[in-house]
Amino acid sequence: MSVLEYLANGLVFSSIVVLASVGLSLVYSIAGFANFAHGDTMTVGAYAALVTFGAVGGLGAGVLGLPVGFFVALLVGAVVAAVVAVVTHRIVYEPLELDSIGLLITSIGVAFVYRGAIQTGFGAGFTEFGIQVLRPIEFLIPYGVRITRHDVAIVLSAGALVAATHALLQYTDLGRKMRATADNPELARVAGIRTARIELWTWVVGAGLAGAGGVFLGLYNQVSPRMGFNLLLVVFAAVILGGIGSVYGAMLGGFLIGTINQLTPLLSDLGIPIGIEYANAVAFLVMVAVLLVRPQGIAGEVVS
Amino acid sequence: MTDGDTLGDRIRRLTRAERGVAVFVVGLVGVLLAGTLGGVFGPTYVLYLLGLVGMYVLLSFGLNVQWGYAGLINFSVAAFFGLGAYGTALLTADNSPIAGGVSPVVGLVVGLGLAAVLAVAIGIPTLRLRTDYLAIASLGLAEVVRLVVRNERQWTNGSAGLRGIPGFFEGWPVLAQLPETLPGLRVEVVPGSPIFVQTPFWQAALNVGLVFVFVAVTYLLLRRLHRSPWGRVLRTIRSDEDLAAALGRDTYRFKMQAFVLGSVIAALAGVFYAHLNLFVSPGDLEPINTFYVWIAVILGGSGSNRGAMFGGFVVIAIREGTRFVDSFGGLPVDVAPLRLLVIGLLIVLVMRFRPEGVLPPQRELIWPAALADAETPERGPDTAADGGDES
Repeated sequence: MSVLEYLANGLVFSSIVVLASVGLSLVYSIAGFANFAHGDTMTVGAYAALVTFGAVGGLGAGVLGLPVGFFVALLVGAVVAAVVAVVTHRIVYEPLELDSIGLLITSIGVAFVYRGAIQTGFGAGFTEFGIQVLRPIEFLIPYGVRITRHDVAIVLSAGALVAATHALLQYTDLGRKMRATADNPELARVAGIRTARIELWTWVVGAGLAGAGGVFLGLYNQVSPRMGFNLLLVVFAAVILGGIGSVYGAMLGGFLIGTINQLTPLLSDLGIPIGIEYANAVAFLVMVAVLLVRPQGIAGEVVS
Repeated sequence: MTDGDTLGDRIRRLTRAERGVAVFVVGLVGVLLAGTLGGVFGPTYVLYLLGLVGMYVLLSFGLNVQWGYAGLINFSVAAFFGLGAYGTALLTADNSPIAGGVSPVVGLVVGLGLAAVLAVAIGIPTLRLRTDYLAIASLGLAEVVRLVVRNERQWTNGSAGLRGIPGFFEGWPVLAQLPETLPGLRVEVVPGSPIFVQTPFWQAALNVGLVFVFVAVTYLLLRRLHRSPWGRVLRTIRSDEDLAAALGRDTYRFKMQAFVLGSVIAALAGVFYAHLNLFVSPGDLEPINTFYVWIAVILGGSGSNRGAMFGGFVVIAIREGTRFVDSFGGLPVDVAPLRLLVIGLLIVLVMRFRPEGVLPPQRELIWPAALADAETPERGPDTAADGGDES
């Protein structure tokens, strides 16, 4: 396979990772803990979309090889993930009087509850959206790039969502309040920002992005109860690489880690015997190596 | 504890949680005993369960050193457990691609050595960073270890795992033959359901004895260490690392020592597991196993060795109990996801309602001589017990 093809795959995969990383980073910066349930929130979104798509089916004409019904399912997946996250926040995280470590451990419990519930309802096996598998786009094949129109849809949708998040953070009142709360919650509260409400909205946006990422991951690979958890480490690697708590760092980190992940086969092409089965491991080791040099991550600020 | 204590005094001095735990443990042991005598459980199986409990107690001890004493979030327990198990299995197992047939004692040393080396390797990049980085980095590095074990077939046999691991006492002078020489018995307590006590039973009894020795040695060592100046520095680091640094302690070194010690203890549990189960596979390194140990420690009470023991008990009760329910087909749904759900709920509920755990450290943190002073007769046992509640 050509380097171009690996890069194209990297672009598609990193779109998914970026969606998940931005969500994780938002929650990290405002709720203040590493949310280990983030991967399983993606799974929740994917299954919600799966059920919805089963109901609305091939509704409407095709957009980039995807029926309109798929975009309805995508929306439902994101909304369900957001609702589940808000409910979890209300009944689990909010009443806790624990430090960030305690919240982190609690989120592992939450992750198990999500996954256990999904597995009880849908079984442990793999499923797929009932969408016809497409052939690679013809005019790209001469360049050695085999991607489908579905892949293009993933990249474009992810790009739109990331741009929307950027606009939300920079140009809206809610975004300004979110940035203020992330920066200094006490000061934000003194300045009259209702930080509890901002936190709730952060969960909505963060989990919504995760849900959408989960739906795309299901379209890209398959849908299974472990899909989100399996991606979680890659997402954490991306967030840490970018600098924990920095949303724009998470975008950059997600892009880098996702691309590195897909470039792993290059290593064996170059004669280094590390196969694709180590893709996640390589991404992770890159993160550790960066941390050794720059502990605060690429875009992170120095923590005293 | 003064010399004149009667059993009644001791029971009166227990806190409510301690009484509850005592009732739970006695009840569980009672059920197992009754089940065994009634012929529901095989006595060999019960001993196997006891061995597993001992293994979890060891794992909890190990994590307790890291998290309970030093406040390090280590999410790579399963990797160190796996290194211990694979370390000894690769040397002793029949189908090991590397060696095979080496004495398990050598396997023990190699397993612990591997764990110590990996602990240093993981500690160097992560222990200087914020605590949550360690959580994520250790989980990731554990995943790297698991991927290597699963994919490097030429060294580890890949997903097929290693079979034909000998018992720990293989090749020992007396103990190797002991189970065969001990007599076979036939006990019939409940008429119609006799219990057979034969070689496998004695084998299992020997294993329980082994893990008991491991647990006892580790416990005594940890108790001594926890009360030593070293343990006090660790506790300071846990509650306020800046303070420890300001007092001139090299906190990085202390954290590294705690991390290595805890990891070696986890590997010890792995070595025992390999020789108990006689089969290891990459599945033993799954992250879920790390979280089982976390539940044991958090549920028991972070920093408390007694709590770690109790936690080990509960985890085995959940793991094996649900398996038992499954084998009887008592539930209409698959048990595996249900177990995940129950464990998740358990974590959430403990963190919500009793984040300090069921048996938080009490007297363990107090120098024994100071405790004896506090329990002078004038103050009475009740006040002493209350005073000891502070953790």
